[in-house]
Amino acid sequence: MGKYAILLDTRFCTGCNTCFYKCVQENRLHESANQGYARTMVLIRDKGLFHHRCMHCEEPSCVATCPSGAFAKTPEGIVLYDSQPCLGCKSCVIACPFNIPQWDMKKKEVIKCTMCAHRVLKGKQPACVEVCPTDALEFGLYEEITGKAKQIAAENKLNIYGLEENGGTSVIILTKEDPIAIGYPEVSKSATKARGPKTIVGTAAVAALAYAGIKKYTERRAEIEGKKDE
Amino acid sequence: MGEVKLKRRDFLKIGGITCLSTLFTPLNNLVPFISFAEAAESEAKYSITKKIPQVCARACECDCAYNVVVGVDKATGIERGITIEGRPEDPVSRGKYCIKALGFVDGMYNPDRLLVALKRTNPKRGVDQDPGWVTISSDEALDEIIEKMKKHKREEMVFASPGDPYSNRLCRSLGVRRSDQRTECFGTHYYLNALMVTNPPNKYYSSTYTVTHSIWGFDYSDTKYMLWFGFDSFSKCGKAGILNHIAEGKRKGTKIVGFNPLRTPMADGLMDEWYPIKPGTDLAVTLAMIKIMLDKKIYNEKFVKNYTDSASLIDAETRLHITNSDGKWMAWCTEHKRMEPIETCDAPALDGGPFTVTVDGKDVQAMPVLQLLKENVKDCTSEWAAKISDVPADVITRVTREFAEAAPNVCIPNLKRDPAGPNYANSWRLMHTINILHALTGSFDHDGGVLFLHDVKIPWLEDVDPPAKPYPPLPEKAPDFRHEFPVTEEIYQKKDFSAPGHYGMIGYGLYKTDMTKVVVFKGPHRGLAALIQPQMTEKALEKMDLVWDWDLYLDDIVYWSDYVLPAPHQFEESKLDLRQYYPKYPCLVAGEPVQKAPGDCIGWGTIAKRIGLALAPEYWTTDGSSDPDKVIEGNMNDAALKAVGVAENTEEFLTEQNGIWIDKKPYENYKTIREIGYGRPNGRVRLYIDEFVKVSHEPLPKWAERWTSSEGEYKYSLLITRAAWHMHADPNFINNEALNVVSEKNYIDCVWISPGAGKKLGLSEGDSVVLETNPKYMEELPRPVKAKVHITNRIARNDCVLLFHGIGHRSKWLKHGRWGYRDGDLIPQKNPEVSKPHDPTGMGWVEDVYVKIKKA
Repeated sequence: MGKYAILLDTRFCTGCNTCFYKCVQENRLHESANQGYARTMVLIRDKGLFHHRCMHCEEPSCVATCPSGAFAKTPEGIVLYDSQPCLGCKSCVIACPFNIPQWDMKKKEVIKCTMCAHRVLKGKQPACVEVCPTDALEFGLYEEITGKAKQIAAENKLNIYGLEENGGTSVIILTKEDPIAIGYPEVSKSATKARGPKTIVGTAAVAALAYAGIKKYTERRAEIEGKKDE
Repeated sequence: MGEVKLKRRDFLKIGGITCLSTLFTPLNNLVPFISFAEAAESEAKYSITKKIPQVCARACECDCAYNVVVGVDKATGIERGITIEGRPEDPVSRGKYCIKALGFVDGMYNPDRLLVALKRTNPKRGVDQDPGWVTISSDEALDEIIEKMKKHKREEMVFASPGDPYSNRLCRSLGVRRSDQRTECFGTHYYLNALMVTNPPNKYYSSTYTVTHSIWGFDYSDTKYMLWFGFDSFSKCGKAGILNHIAEGKRKGTKIVGFNPLRTPMADGLMDEWYPIKPGTDLAVTLAMIKIMLDKKIYNEKFVKNYTDSASLIDAETRLHITNSDGKWMAWCTEHKRMEPIETCDAPALDGGPFTVTVDGKDVQAMPVLQLLKENVKDCTSEWAAKISDVPADVITRVTREFAEAAPNVCIPNLKRDPAGPNYANSWRLMHTINILHALTGSFDHDGGVLFLHDVKIPWLEDVDPPAKPYPPLPEKAPDFRHEFPVTEEIYQKKDFSAPGHYGMIGYGLYKTDMTKVVVFKGPHRGLAALIQPQMTEKALEKMDLVWDWDLYLDDIVYWSDYVLPAPHQFEESKLDLRQYYPKYPCLVAGEPVQKAPGDCIGWGTIAKRIGLALAPEYWTTDGSSDPDKVIEGNMNDAALKAVGVAENTEEFLTEQNGIWIDKKPYENYKTIREIGYGRPNGRVRLYIDEFVKVSHEPLPKWAERWTSSEGEYKYSLLITRAAWHMHADPNFINNEALNVVSEKNYIDCVWISPGAGKKLGLSEGDSVVLETNPKYMEELPRPVKAKVHITNRIARNDCVLLFHGIGHRSKWLKHGRWGYRDGDLIPQKNPEVSKPHDPTGMGWVEDVYVKIKKA
């Protein structure tokens, strides 16, 4: 398998959120969605449409910070999460410069896009891409997608977001307006392994989170084991 | 940053924890990459057991064809509808579908669905009353309803229902008025099209007319230039059957210029130019466009001469078309200098006059329609329109020229609440001008422009099972006052009983008169409580003898209902659809039930037959008897399939052709207009509407102010739109918690104002506000709207406020419908006496409202 990427040409996005609900149905995420957690959602903002979705970074901060190896970057370019080893420390939530991972309080796991790995493995497109009424989303090989993104951006004087942010990502977004003005986070070009705490209070907070996570680890393992036995 | 002092003990504690957590961190670096195939979610969370073809209905005008994917949800082990899969072969959806279609799938299993019939035991109706529901079988409920209906005269009953074949036959056979509760928003288009383009029923007008009651679709894929007068409402942002075509056109280079005080996401991405027009002034721009086209002679003269009444002569005295003894329009021949039938005149005059002609032995002065149009718009310069609309004059001039140059592959799409919908009392004038612009550019009945219906139809019930004798006359008076609007009454009574009704006046009629004692609601969750001033309807229903409702949920209307009969979900019904929304090719597509309707659900056809057999049996049996064994079958779908030789019946069609048939023949430009237009078989578009003269209205469009005006604090013009994932407070969507989350995150639960208006009112984001309609225009039963405010520059003007339609309800039986105001609370029911001088069709005025905004 090759390395993949998604191209989002926001000129064709109408904010219909069909991608959001398709993702919910495809991945059976109704309960999480009811709580307000979504793997992808389009938000109508003053300057344009903001897609809150995992960027699948080249050097993911979530992978770098996760103390338990619950996150992994695959050679296919997809950043995956596994709830089994997850401690629930939420360091990924703090670390992600794009503010993507959400902690589902009820299910006690991280909500984050898998780029529909189960579909891609079978040669299908991610569900959100397939469903988009205007084909604003396109799935393909990384090199082809980035090449196309650059070409479209140059021809139409569009901004590119995701090509270089955080060291590059596998989701490339084209916008008419400045993406930062729309609401996309301003992220440095080089990979931020983690958004480390900058103050002693922050350090204490992270440490407390880690402590809480470790404390919960035992009961969570027991819970997971219990589930396995059912 | 302030300095933080830590005690030594705390420092050691935190340090220890930090070290501990650092120990864990490198673990992930041992396995930075896993194999993709080893992903935790490498398998689908459901296994597919079957795919059922279905056709969307009731969600929008597109009627996309798709498959409902049924499978076993691995988490629960239950087999159920999982999701939707597109059908690329469908010419409308082309493999796409929308969020509402997905919502319908989960709607089937919504725990609040009504599955049994309910009967009220508390005779007092109202939102503050417990109805004291008792369950009853649907059969028993229907028996009791029928017995109660027998006690009432036909003029005391009204069916609040759209004109579907069964509702039509039931009302016609009982001699009861049907007051359409939800298609009024298509009324302005429908009646103007009926008066200008085709006089229904034409040979292609089908029992499954497009949901918009439209006789055409727009060729978004192949058009070169589109003008959107508010067409890009938020609801359009989700209509997959339109969007996939617009996107294709856009990728091929369609130019789109939009006029809308609201900047929608469609404007962000798809529009080349956007102008925040002053609400209710689109008509000024279209009148100026007509003037420019006529003055500069940049119209399609060939189409205008051959396919419209532009050359036909109008009698200066009667102000009506002059016709010969065959009823043919007459033109002034510039060669023979005499009046001749328009069809045989070689050199008809499009302008000039007045000409002296002899009619019935008397000399009269007459002028061609196009000359009259020129005179009507003579003062409508771009500069004049710019002052009224705030659209720059040079833009109007340039856009008109570009539009004419791109013709005939141009269009001004209009459906529902966008251009010329029910928005304003003078929307009929706007629709009139849009049709004239389509005629001047020759884009009517032309690919790349306005596509007329194809020549395949699904017959009406009367076609397959003709009534044994003529239907009884309808009561002289209608509770929705339609009888006081001769233009629409004529069409409803004599030509098309399915015509949109005067929903905007039914509440006024029920409240202000005592003529009605029985009200029947067919699925009101799509209309009544979500639309115009429901408070007047609610008050009126308190005094009725019988109110019953056929519904999918217990929504607001059941507070006033004596019986509620459970309806099947739309995916539990068979369907056949013509794809009239994009009628480029003749096409039939079928759908079959995804599951048997659960509980004691009862279909509308069954209800209609039961009531019909009980109250007017002679119209419901094949031989006019009362014999229930001879009840009509009403198999319209099989008849449609047989007529085109596709299959003998729907089952065969589904089995052998997967339920889809397309005749991909090339679109024949200007063919259908001959077959459906005025004067057929040599049909034409009629620009000049004689019927309006007879009711003291202008037969050609003229500028008119809105019937209400901004006054004092009541200065915010009401704009209404709808989220892509909502319908008229339909519980399929508002009772879906996930969709509520999307609404809240997108401020759909708020009212939107501009930053300028917010500043003036001293409001901040999220403040609670109260909106009140000017009491001068809403003297009775006002119900102010309370909501949070969202301040956004998407509202580009300081004189507007945007409300979202279809989010409000009060039913305590909908667990997830936890919020929502109702835009309709602010829109006064129409007083027919006020409406008549402004609108000969009685269809407009939804947004003719100015409100006051104050901090709550």
